[in-house]
Amino acid sequence: MTTNDATTTAGAAAPAGRTRGKVPGEGSFWLSEWAFPLFVAALAAGIFAGTHLYYVYRTGTFSDVAVTAMLKGGMDSGSYGAAAAFGAGFLFARIIEGPMVGILDIGGSLQTGVGIGIPAMLLAAGITAPLEHFWLALPTGALLGALIGALILAIRRATVNSAGGTSTFGADVMMGAGNSAGRYLGPLVIIAAATASLPVGLGSTLGAALFYWWKKPLTGGAILGAMLFGLFFPIAGT
Amino acid sequence: MNETLTIALESMVIGALIGFGASAGVARMFHAPKVQGMGAFRTLGELNACENDPVAHFSFGLGFFFNAWASAVGTGALTSDVDHRIVPHWAAALSMTKNRNLDETLHNPRRMAAYGAGVGLVLVTVLNTTAASIPHSLQNVAADVLGPASEWLINPVMPIVFWMAAVDAGRRSGGWGTVLGGLAHVVMGNAVPGIVLGIVVGKGIDDLGWTRVTKALAGAVVLLFVGSAFLRGVDIQLLQQMKADVPHWLSRLHDATGTTPTK
Repeated sequence: MTTNDATTTAGAAAPAGRTRGKVPGEGSFWLSEWAFPLFVAALAAGIFAGTHLYYVYRTGTFSDVAVTAMLKGGMDSGSYGAAAAFGAGFLFARIIEGPMVGILDIGGSLQTGVGIGIPAMLLAAGITAPLEHFWLALPTGALLGALIGALILAIRRATVNSAGGTSTFGADVMMGAGNSAGRYLGPLVIIAAATASLPVGLGSTLGAALFYWWKKPLTGGAILGAMLFGLFFPIAGT
Repeated sequence: MNETLTIALESMVIGALIGFGASAGVARMFHAPKVQGMGAFRTLGELNACENDPVAHFSFGLGFFFNAWASAVGTGALTSDVDHRIVPHWAAALSMTKNRNLDETLHNPRRMAAYGAGVGLVLVTVLNTTAASIPHSLQNVAADVLGPASEWLINPVMPIVFWMAAVDAGRRSGGWGTVLGGLAHVVMGNAVPGIVLGIVVGKGIDDLGWTRVTKALAGAVVLLFVGSAFLRGVDIQLLQQMKADVPHWLSRLHDATGTTPTK
Protein backbone atom coordinates (compact mmCIF):
# COMPACT_ATOMS: atom_id res chain seq x y z
CA MET A 1 0.00 0.00 0.00
CA THR A 2 1.47 3.29 -1.04
CA THR A 3 -1.38 5.41 0.23
CA ASN A 4 -0.83 5.72 3.96
CA ASP A 5 1.55 8.69 4.19
CA ALA A 6 -1.13 11.21 5.08
CA THR A 7 -2.72 9.27 7.92
CA THR A 8 0.51 8.18 9.57
CA THR A 9 1.90 11.69 9.62
CA ALA A 10 -1.44 13.18 10.63
CA GLY A 11 -1.94 10.57 13.32
CA ALA A 12 1.61 10.61 14.65
CA ALA A 13 0.78 13.31 17.15
CA ALA A 14 -2.34 11.59 18.45
CA PRO A 15 -0.81 8.89 20.72
CA ALA A 16 1.04 11.56 22.68
CA GLY A 17 -2.28 13.01 23.78
CA ARG A 18 -3.50 9.65 25.05
CA THR A 19 -2.42 8.63 28.51
CA ARG A 20 -3.81 5.08 28.49
CA GLY A 21 -1.64 2.67 26.55
CA LYS A 22 -4.35 0.11 25.90
CA VAL A 23 -6.52 2.19 23.58
CA PRO A 24 -5.20 2.39 20.01
CA GLY A 25 -4.94 6.01 18.98
CA GLU A 26 -5.66 7.33 15.52
CA GLY A 27 -2.63 6.56 13.40
CA SER A 28 -1.91 3.31 15.22
CA PHE A 29 -2.23 0.06 13.30
CA TRP A 30 -5.83 -0.62 14.36
CA LEU A 31 -7.13 2.73 13.14
CA SER A 32 -4.69 3.21 10.27
CA GLU A 33 -5.80 3.47 6.67
CA TRP A 34 -3.87 0.44 5.45
CA ALA A 35 -5.31 -1.86 8.12
CA PHE A 36 -8.69 -1.45 6.43
CA PRO A 37 -7.99 -3.76 3.45
CA LEU A 38 -6.69 -6.35 5.91
CA PHE A 39 -9.94 -6.36 7.90
CA VAL A 40 -11.98 -6.51 4.68
CA ALA A 41 -9.79 -9.41 3.49
CA ALA A 42 -10.37 -11.37 6.73
CA LEU A 43 -14.12 -10.84 6.58
CA ALA A 44 -14.36 -11.55 2.84
CA ALA A 45 -12.29 -14.75 3.21
CA GLY A 46 -14.74 -15.98 5.85
CA ILE A 47 -17.79 -15.02 3.82
CA PHE A 48 -16.52 -16.60 0.58
CA ALA A 49 -15.58 -19.77 2.48
CA GLY A 50 -19.11 -19.73 3.95
CA THR A 51 -20.49 -19.85 0.43
CA HIS A 52 -18.15 -22.78 -0.28
CA LEU A 53 -19.70 -24.52 2.75
CA TYR A 54 -23.15 -23.86 1.30
CA TYR A 55 -22.13 -25.06 -2.17
CA VAL A 56 -20.88 -28.36 -0.77
CA TYR A 57 -23.00 -28.95 2.36
CA ARG A 58 -26.04 -26.66 1.87
CA THR A 59 -25.42 -24.58 4.99
CA GLY A 60 -23.31 -21.54 5.78
CA THR A 61 -23.95 -18.56 3.49
CA PHE A 62 -23.82 -15.23 5.30
CA SER A 63 -26.61 -13.71 3.24
CA ASP A 64 -30.31 -13.53 3.92
CA VAL A 65 -32.76 -16.22 2.89
CA ALA A 66 -34.05 -14.35 -0.14
CA VAL A 67 -30.58 -13.63 -1.50
CA THR A 68 -29.31 -17.15 -0.88
CA ALA A 69 -32.41 -18.43 -2.67
CA MET A 70 -31.16 -16.72 -5.85
CA LEU A 71 -27.86 -18.61 -5.68
CA LYS A 72 -29.72 -21.85 -4.95
CA GLY A 73 -31.95 -21.16 -7.94
CA GLY A 74 -28.81 -20.98 -10.04
CA MET A 75 -27.38 -24.16 -8.54
CA ASP A 76 -30.63 -25.99 -9.30
CA SER A 77 -31.23 -24.65 -12.81
CA GLY A 78 -27.73 -23.76 -13.95
CA SER A 79 -28.70 -20.20 -14.75
CA TYR A 80 -26.88 -17.80 -12.46
CA GLY A 81 -27.88 -14.53 -14.16
CA ALA A 82 -30.17 -13.27 -11.40
CA ALA A 83 -27.75 -13.97 -8.54
CA ALA A 84 -24.76 -12.59 -10.44
CA ALA A 85 -26.48 -9.38 -11.49
CA PHE A 86 -28.08 -8.77 -8.09
CA GLY A 87 -24.82 -9.42 -6.22
CA ALA A 88 -22.64 -7.47 -8.60
CA GLY A 89 -25.07 -4.55 -8.61
CA PHE A 90 -24.95 -4.32 -4.82
CA LEU A 91 -21.18 -4.69 -4.78
CA PHE A 92 -20.60 -1.85 -7.25
CA ALA A 93 -23.10 0.39 -5.50
CA ARG A 94 -21.51 -0.20 -2.12
CA ILE A 95 -17.97 0.32 -3.39
CA ILE A 96 -19.01 3.72 -4.72
CA GLU A 97 -21.00 4.55 -1.58
CA GLY A 98 -18.60 3.15 1.06
CA PRO A 99 -15.81 5.71 0.83
CA MET A 100 -18.27 8.62 0.55
CA VAL A 101 -20.01 7.88 3.82
CA GLY A 102 -17.04 6.38 5.70
CA ILE A 103 -18.83 3.08 6.27
CA LEU A 104 -18.56 0.12 3.91
CA ASP A 105 -21.85 -1.77 4.07
CA ILE A 106 -20.96 -5.38 4.85
CA GLY A 107 -24.33 -6.70 3.76
CA GLY A 108 -24.33 -5.27 0.25
CA SER A 109 -20.63 -5.36 -0.53
CA LEU A 110 -19.34 -8.53 1.07
CA GLN A 111 -22.29 -10.74 1.96
CA THR A 112 -24.25 -10.10 -1.22
CA GLY A 113 -21.36 -9.18 -3.53
CA VAL A 114 -18.51 -11.48 -2.49
CA GLY A 115 -20.79 -14.13 -0.95
CA ILE A 116 -23.39 -14.45 -3.72
CA GLY A 117 -22.62 -12.26 -6.76
CA ILE A 118 -19.00 -13.27 -7.39
CA PRO A 119 -19.58 -17.01 -6.74
CA ALA A 120 -22.55 -16.84 -9.15
CA MET A 121 -20.33 -15.21 -11.79
CA LEU A 122 -17.63 -17.84 -11.29
CA LEU A 123 -20.16 -20.67 -11.50
CA ALA A 124 -21.78 -19.13 -14.58
CA ALA A 125 -18.33 -19.12 -16.18
CA GLY A 126 -17.87 -22.79 -15.24
CA ILE A 127 -15.23 -22.13 -12.57
CA THR A 128 -16.17 -24.35 -9.64
CA ALA A 129 -12.82 -25.07 -7.93
CA PRO A 130 -12.80 -22.13 -5.44
CA LEU A 131 -16.27 -23.16 -4.28
CA GLU A 132 -15.53 -26.85 -4.04
CA HIS A 133 -12.33 -26.62 -2.00
CA PHE A 134 -11.99 -24.90 1.36
CA TRP A 135 -8.23 -24.27 0.92
CA LEU A 136 -8.94 -22.42 -2.33
CA ALA A 137 -11.99 -20.56 -1.03
CA LEU A 138 -10.05 -18.80 1.75
CA PRO A 139 -7.34 -17.14 -0.40
CA THR A 140 -9.87 -16.34 -3.14
CA GLY A 141 -12.07 -14.51 -0.64
CA ALA A 142 -9.09 -12.79 1.00
CA LEU A 143 -7.81 -11.55 -2.36
CA LEU A 144 -11.24 -10.21 -3.33
CA GLY A 145 -11.54 -8.49 0.04
CA ALA A 146 -8.10 -6.91 -0.16
CA LEU A 147 -8.88 -5.59 -3.67
CA ILE A 148 -12.20 -4.13 -2.51
CA GLY A 149 -10.52 -2.54 0.52
CA ALA A 150 -7.77 -1.01 -1.63
CA LEU A 151 -10.32 0.26 -4.14
CA ILE A 152 -12.33 1.92 -1.36
CA LEU A 153 -9.22 3.69 -0.11
CA ALA A 154 -8.35 4.83 -3.62
CA ILE A 155 -11.83 6.31 -4.16
CA ARG A 156 -11.71 7.86 -0.69
CA ARG A 157 -8.44 9.53 -1.57
CA ALA A 158 -9.95 10.99 -4.75
CA THR A 159 -13.18 12.20 -3.13
CA VAL A 160 -13.69 12.68 0.62
CA ASN A 161 -10.03 13.22 1.44
CA SER A 162 -9.36 15.44 -1.55
CA ALA A 163 -8.90 19.18 -1.10
CA GLY A 164 -12.13 20.94 -0.14
CA GLY A 165 -13.94 17.65 0.44
CA THR A 166 -16.49 18.90 2.92
CA SER A 167 -19.45 16.74 1.96
CA THR A 168 -20.58 13.61 3.80
CA PHE A 169 -22.69 12.66 0.76
CA GLY A 170 -25.92 12.20 2.69
CA ALA A 171 -24.50 9.85 5.33
CA ASP A 172 -27.01 11.13 7.88
CA VAL A 173 -29.95 10.51 5.54
CA MET A 174 -28.93 6.92 4.93
CA MET A 175 -28.17 6.40 8.61
CA GLY A 176 -31.75 7.36 9.43
CA ALA A 177 -33.20 5.14 6.70
CA GLY A 178 -31.01 2.22 7.78
CA ASN A 179 -32.16 2.57 11.35
CA SER A 180 -35.84 2.71 10.51
CA ALA A 181 -35.63 -0.18 8.00
CA GLY A 182 -34.49 -2.51 10.79
CA ARG A 183 -37.55 -1.62 12.85
CA TYR A 184 -39.92 -3.06 10.23
CA LEU A 185 -38.72 -6.62 10.65
CA GLY A 186 -40.71 -7.35 13.83
CA PRO A 187 -44.14 -6.39 12.44
CA LEU A 188 -43.30 -8.19 9.18
CA VAL A 189 -42.55 -11.39 11.14
CA ILE A 190 -45.92 -11.15 12.91
CA ILE A 191 -47.76 -10.65 9.60
CA ALA A 192 -45.93 -13.58 8.00
CA ALA A 193 -46.63 -15.74 11.07
CA ALA A 194 -50.36 -14.94 11.03
CA THR A 195 -50.40 -15.73 7.30
CA ALA A 196 -48.67 -19.08 7.85
CA SER A 197 -51.08 -20.35 10.51
CA LEU A 198 -53.38 -18.98 13.21
CA PRO A 199 -51.69 -20.48 16.31
CA VAL A 200 -48.24 -19.40 15.09
CA GLY A 201 -49.61 -15.92 14.43
CA LEU A 202 -51.02 -15.74 17.98
CA GLY A 203 -47.71 -16.95 19.44
CA SER A 204 -45.76 -14.41 17.45
CA THR A 205 -48.04 -11.57 18.55
CA LEU A 206 -47.84 -12.63 22.18
CA GLY A 207 -44.05 -12.95 22.07
CA ALA A 208 -43.63 -9.54 20.47
CA ALA A 209 -45.97 -7.91 23.00
CA LEU A 210 -44.08 -9.46 25.93
CA PHE A 211 -40.70 -8.38 24.57
CA TYR A 212 -42.00 -4.88 24.00
CA TRP A 213 -43.30 -4.84 27.58
CA TRP A 214 -39.85 -5.94 28.81
CA LYS A 215 -38.28 -3.16 26.72
CA LYS A 216 -36.49 -5.61 24.41
CA PRO A 217 -36.47 -5.45 20.58
CA LEU A 218 -39.85 -6.91 19.63
CA THR A 219 -38.45 -8.74 16.59
CA GLY A 220 -36.81 -11.28 18.92
CA GLY A 221 -40.10 -11.90 20.74
CA ALA A 222 -42.06 -12.25 17.51
CA ILE A 223 -39.58 -14.89 16.29
CA LEU A 224 -39.40 -16.79 19.60
CA GLY A 225 -43.20 -16.78 19.99
CA ALA A 226 -43.70 -18.05 16.43
CA MET A 227 -41.14 -20.82 16.95
CA LEU A 228 -42.56 -21.89 20.33
CA PHE A 229 -46.12 -22.15 19.02
CA GLY A 230 -44.89 -23.78 15.82
CA LEU A 231 -43.32 -26.49 17.96
CA PHE A 232 -46.67 -27.36 19.60
CA PHE A 233 -48.96 -26.62 16.65
CA PRO A 234 -46.87 -27.55 13.60
CA ILE A 235 -47.69 -25.81 10.34
CA ALA A 236 -47.95 -27.90 7.19
CA GLY A 237 -44.80 -26.46 5.64
CA THR A 238 -44.01 -25.74 2.04
CA MET B 1 -13.53 -37.33 7.08
CA ASN B 2 -16.89 -37.28 8.80
CA GLU B 3 -19.11 -34.63 7.22
CA THR B 4 -20.21 -32.96 10.47
CA LEU B 5 -16.61 -32.77 11.67
CA THR B 6 -15.52 -31.16 8.40
CA ILE B 7 -18.32 -28.61 8.65
CA ALA B 8 -17.39 -27.90 12.28
CA LEU B 9 -13.68 -27.40 11.58
CA GLU B 10 -14.27 -25.20 8.53
CA SER B 11 -16.89 -23.23 10.47
CA MET B 12 -14.39 -22.47 13.24
CA VAL B 13 -11.91 -20.94 10.79
CA ILE B 14 -14.69 -19.06 8.96
CA GLY B 15 -16.22 -17.82 12.21
CA ALA B 16 -12.94 -16.54 13.63
CA LEU B 17 -12.18 -14.69 10.36
CA ILE B 18 -15.56 -13.01 10.04
CA GLY B 19 -15.66 -12.17 13.75
CA PHE B 20 -12.23 -10.57 13.62
CA GLY B 21 -12.87 -8.54 10.46
CA ALA B 22 -16.44 -7.46 11.21
CA SER B 23 -15.76 -6.40 14.80
CA ALA B 24 -12.66 -4.40 13.93
CA GLY B 25 -14.60 -2.73 11.12
CA VAL B 26 -17.55 -1.99 13.41
CA ALA B 27 -15.29 -0.39 16.05
CA ARG B 28 -13.76 1.75 13.29
CA MET B 29 -17.25 3.00 12.31
CA PHE B 30 -17.26 5.11 15.47
CA HIS B 31 -14.21 6.96 14.15
CA ALA B 32 -15.82 7.64 10.73
CA PRO B 33 -15.67 9.67 8.59
CA LYS B 34 -12.02 10.32 9.62
CA VAL B 35 -11.29 6.57 9.53
CA GLN B 36 -12.87 4.21 7.00
CA GLY B 37 -15.16 1.85 8.90
CA MET B 38 -17.15 -1.21 7.91
CA GLY B 39 -20.59 -2.32 9.07
CA ALA B 40 -23.88 -0.61 8.26
CA PHE B 41 -25.88 2.41 9.26
CA ARG B 42 -28.41 0.26 11.05
CA THR B 43 -25.60 -1.52 12.94
CA LEU B 44 -24.21 1.81 14.11
CA GLY B 45 -27.63 3.03 15.20
CA GLU B 46 -28.50 -0.17 17.01
CA LEU B 47 -25.18 -0.29 18.85
CA ASN B 48 -25.72 3.28 19.98
CA ALA B 49 -29.30 2.45 20.99
CA CYS B 50 -28.05 -0.12 23.52
CA GLU B 51 -26.40 2.73 25.46
CA ASN B 52 -23.34 0.75 26.61
CA ASP B 53 -25.40 -1.74 28.59
CA PRO B 54 -23.98 -5.28 28.17
CA VAL B 55 -27.36 -6.91 28.88
CA ALA B 56 -29.06 -4.85 26.18
CA HIS B 57 -26.31 -5.75 23.71
CA PHE B 58 -26.58 -9.43 24.61
CA SER B 59 -30.36 -9.71 24.32
CA PHE B 60 -30.39 -7.76 21.07
CA GLY B 61 -27.93 -10.27 19.65
CA LEU B 62 -29.92 -13.16 21.11
CA GLY B 63 -33.10 -12.25 19.24
CA PHE B 64 -31.21 -12.31 15.98
CA PHE B 65 -29.32 -15.45 16.99
CA PHE B 66 -32.61 -17.33 16.99
CA ASN B 67 -33.50 -15.69 13.71
CA ALA B 68 -30.20 -16.86 12.20
CA TRP B 69 -30.54 -20.31 13.72
CA ALA B 70 -34.05 -20.78 12.37
CA SER B 71 -32.96 -19.52 8.99
CA ALA B 72 -29.95 -21.87 8.92
CA VAL B 73 -32.29 -24.79 9.62
CA GLY B 74 -34.76 -24.01 6.91
CA THR B 75 -32.53 -22.76 4.17
CA GLY B 76 -28.84 -22.97 5.08
CA ALA B 77 -28.54 -19.17 5.04
CA LEU B 78 -27.13 -17.76 8.28
CA THR B 79 -28.65 -14.32 7.48
CA SER B 80 -26.74 -11.08 7.21
CA ASP B 81 -27.54 -10.48 10.90
CA VAL B 82 -24.52 -12.63 11.86
CA ASP B 83 -22.07 -9.92 10.75
CA HIS B 84 -24.36 -6.95 11.22
CA ARG B 85 -25.89 -7.67 14.59
CA ILE B 86 -25.04 -10.86 16.47
CA VAL B 87 -21.23 -10.71 16.31
CA PRO B 88 -20.93 -6.94 16.99
CA HIS B 89 -23.48 -6.96 19.81
CA TRP B 90 -22.14 -10.05 21.54
CA ALA B 91 -18.55 -8.87 21.16
CA ALA B 92 -19.63 -5.53 22.65
CA ALA B 93 -21.49 -7.26 25.49
CA LEU B 94 -18.46 -9.41 26.40
CA SER B 95 -16.12 -6.48 26.04
CA MET B 96 -18.24 -4.36 28.40
CA THR B 97 -18.87 -6.83 31.21
CA LYS B 98 -16.07 -5.35 33.31
CA ASN B 99 -15.50 -2.01 31.65
CA ARG B 100 -18.20 0.46 30.60
CA ASN B 101 -15.81 2.98 29.02
CA LEU B 102 -16.79 3.13 25.35
CA ASP B 103 -13.38 4.38 24.20
CA GLU B 104 -11.76 1.28 25.64
CA THR B 105 -14.45 -1.22 24.56
CA LEU B 106 -16.90 -0.69 21.70
CA HIS B 107 -14.82 2.01 19.98
CA ASN B 108 -11.56 0.09 20.35
CA PRO B 109 -10.88 -2.04 17.23
CA ARG B 110 -8.21 -4.16 18.94
CA ARG B 111 -10.43 -5.27 21.80
CA MET B 112 -13.51 -5.71 19.60
CA ALA B 113 -11.55 -7.79 17.06
CA ALA B 114 -10.28 -10.12 19.77
CA TYR B 115 -13.71 -10.69 21.32
CA GLY B 116 -15.35 -10.80 17.90
CA ALA B 117 -13.05 -13.60 16.71
CA GLY B 118 -14.04 -15.68 19.75
CA VAL B 119 -17.76 -14.98 19.35
CA GLY B 120 -17.63 -15.72 15.61
CA LEU B 121 -15.76 -19.01 16.10
CA VAL B 122 -18.37 -20.40 18.49
CA LEU B 123 -21.39 -18.82 16.81
CA VAL B 124 -20.76 -19.95 13.23
CA THR B 125 -19.86 -23.46 14.38
CA VAL B 126 -23.07 -23.74 16.42
CA LEU B 127 -25.20 -22.34 13.60
CA ASN B 128 -23.76 -24.67 10.98
CA THR B 129 -23.60 -27.89 12.98
CA THR B 130 -26.71 -27.85 15.16
CA ALA B 131 -29.06 -26.61 12.44
CA ALA B 132 -29.87 -30.15 11.31
CA SER B 133 -30.79 -31.24 14.85
CA ILE B 134 -33.72 -28.79 15.12
CA PRO B 135 -37.19 -30.38 14.76
CA HIS B 136 -39.00 -30.21 11.43
CA SER B 137 -41.80 -28.12 12.89
CA LEU B 138 -39.28 -25.36 13.60
CA GLN B 139 -37.81 -25.67 10.11
CA ASN B 140 -41.29 -25.02 8.73
CA VAL B 141 -41.68 -21.94 10.91
CA ALA B 142 -38.36 -20.66 9.61
CA ALA B 143 -39.29 -21.27 5.99
CA ASP B 144 -42.90 -20.06 6.19
CA VAL B 145 -42.55 -17.17 8.64
CA LEU B 146 -39.03 -15.78 8.50
CA GLY B 147 -38.62 -16.45 4.78
CA PRO B 148 -41.52 -14.24 3.64
CA ALA B 149 -40.82 -11.63 6.34
CA SER B 150 -37.22 -11.09 5.21
CA GLU B 151 -38.27 -11.12 1.55
CA TRP B 152 -40.79 -8.37 2.25
CA LEU B 153 -38.18 -6.40 4.14
CA ILE B 154 -35.78 -6.45 1.19
CA ASN B 155 -38.62 -5.74 -1.22
CA PRO B 156 -40.73 -3.59 -0.97
CA VAL B 157 -40.27 -2.29 2.62
CA MET B 158 -36.62 -1.21 2.50
CA PRO B 159 -36.92 0.49 -0.88
CA ILE B 160 -39.87 2.53 0.42
CA VAL B 161 -38.10 3.49 3.66
CA PHE B 162 -35.02 4.66 1.74
CA TRP B 163 -37.19 6.33 -0.89
CA MET B 164 -39.06 8.41 1.69
CA ALA B 165 -35.77 9.34 3.37
CA ALA B 166 -34.39 10.51 0.00
CA VAL B 167 -37.54 12.52 -0.75
CA ASP B 168 -37.51 14.12 2.72
CA ALA B 169 -33.83 15.02 2.42
CA GLY B 170 -34.39 17.65 -0.26
CA ARG B 171 -35.40 18.13 -3.87
CA ARG B 172 -32.06 17.05 -5.35
CA SER B 173 -31.63 13.80 -3.43
CA GLY B 174 -35.34 13.10 -3.88
CA GLY B 175 -35.14 13.60 -7.63
CA TRP B 176 -31.94 11.60 -8.11
CA GLY B 177 -33.19 8.95 -5.69
CA THR B 178 -36.49 8.57 -7.54
CA VAL B 179 -34.95 8.29 -11.00
CA LEU B 180 -32.08 6.00 -9.97
CA GLY B 181 -34.37 3.98 -7.67
CA GLY B 182 -36.86 3.25 -10.42
CA LEU B 183 -34.09 2.44 -12.88
CA ALA B 184 -32.38 0.21 -10.30
CA HIS B 185 -35.52 -1.85 -9.87
CA VAL B 186 -35.81 -2.22 -13.63
CA VAL B 187 -32.14 -3.06 -14.08
CA MET B 188 -31.13 -4.83 -10.84
CA GLY B 189 -34.44 -6.07 -9.47
CA ASN B 190 -34.12 -4.00 -6.27
CA ALA B 191 -34.44 -0.25 -5.92
CA VAL B 192 -32.31 0.23 -2.77
CA PRO B 193 -28.87 0.50 -4.42
CA GLY B 194 -30.24 3.09 -6.84
CA ILE B 195 -31.89 5.18 -4.13
CA VAL B 196 -28.73 5.11 -2.00
CA LEU B 197 -26.64 6.25 -4.96
CA GLY B 198 -29.26 8.90 -5.66
CA ILE B 199 -28.84 10.25 -2.13
CA VAL B 200 -25.03 10.17 -2.48
CA VAL B 201 -25.08 12.06 -5.79
CA GLY B 202 -27.85 14.46 -4.76
CA LYS B 203 -26.31 15.36 -1.41
CA GLY B 204 -22.85 15.56 -2.98
CA ILE B 205 -24.12 18.17 -5.47
CA ASP B 206 -25.97 19.99 -2.66
CA ASP B 207 -22.76 20.26 -0.63
CA LEU B 208 -20.08 20.63 -3.31
CA GLY B 209 -21.81 21.64 -6.54
CA TRP B 210 -20.82 20.20 -9.90
CA THR B 211 -17.13 19.61 -9.20
CA ARG B 212 -14.72 17.04 -10.62
CA VAL B 213 -15.65 14.70 -7.75
CA THR B 214 -19.41 14.79 -8.23
CA LYS B 215 -19.03 14.53 -12.02
CA ALA B 216 -16.86 11.42 -11.63
CA LEU B 217 -19.43 10.02 -9.21
CA ALA B 218 -22.33 10.58 -11.58
CA GLY B 219 -20.27 9.08 -14.41
CA ALA B 220 -19.52 5.97 -12.35
CA VAL B 221 -23.23 5.60 -11.56
CA VAL B 222 -24.16 5.80 -15.24
CA LEU B 223 -21.50 3.17 -16.09
CA LEU B 224 -22.81 0.94 -13.30
CA PHE B 225 -26.35 1.08 -14.64
CA VAL B 226 -25.38 0.55 -18.27
CA GLY B 227 -23.11 -2.37 -17.31
CA SER B 228 -25.74 -4.03 -15.11
CA ALA B 229 -28.43 -3.57 -17.76
CA PHE B 230 -26.28 -5.32 -20.37
CA LEU B 231 -25.27 -8.14 -17.99
CA ARG B 232 -28.90 -8.88 -17.17
CA GLY B 233 -30.02 -8.61 -20.79
CA VAL B 234 -32.43 -5.83 -19.87
CA ASP B 235 -31.97 -4.16 -23.27
CA ILE B 236 -33.29 -7.25 -25.10
CA GLN B 237 -36.15 -7.69 -22.64
CA LEU B 238 -37.13 -4.06 -23.07
CA LEU B 239 -37.19 -4.30 -26.86
CA GLN B 240 -39.21 -7.52 -26.72
CA GLN B 241 -41.76 -6.09 -24.31
CA MET B 242 -42.12 -3.00 -26.49
CA LYS B 243 -42.85 -5.39 -29.39
CA ALA B 244 -39.87 -4.02 -31.29
CA ASP B 245 -37.42 -6.09 -33.32
CA VAL B 246 -34.22 -7.04 -31.54
CA PRO B 247 -31.31 -6.24 -33.87
CA HIS B 248 -29.48 -9.36 -34.95
CA TRP B 249 -26.07 -8.09 -33.85
CA LEU B 250 -27.38 -7.34 -30.36
CA SER B 251 -28.80 -10.78 -29.72
CA ARG B 252 -25.61 -12.32 -31.17
CA LEU B 253 -23.55 -10.19 -28.76
CA HIS B 254 -25.64 -11.34 -25.81
CA ASP B 255 -25.41 -14.98 -26.92
CA ALA B 256 -21.64 -14.70 -27.27
CA THR B 257 -21.22 -13.22 -23.78
CA GLY B 258 -23.78 -15.50 -22.13
CA THR B 259 -25.93 -12.59 -21.00
CA THR B 260 -29.23 -13.56 -22.61
CA PRO B 261 -32.14 -12.82 -20.23
CA THR B 262 -33.41 -15.91 -18.43
CA LYS B 263 -37.03 -15.06 -17.80
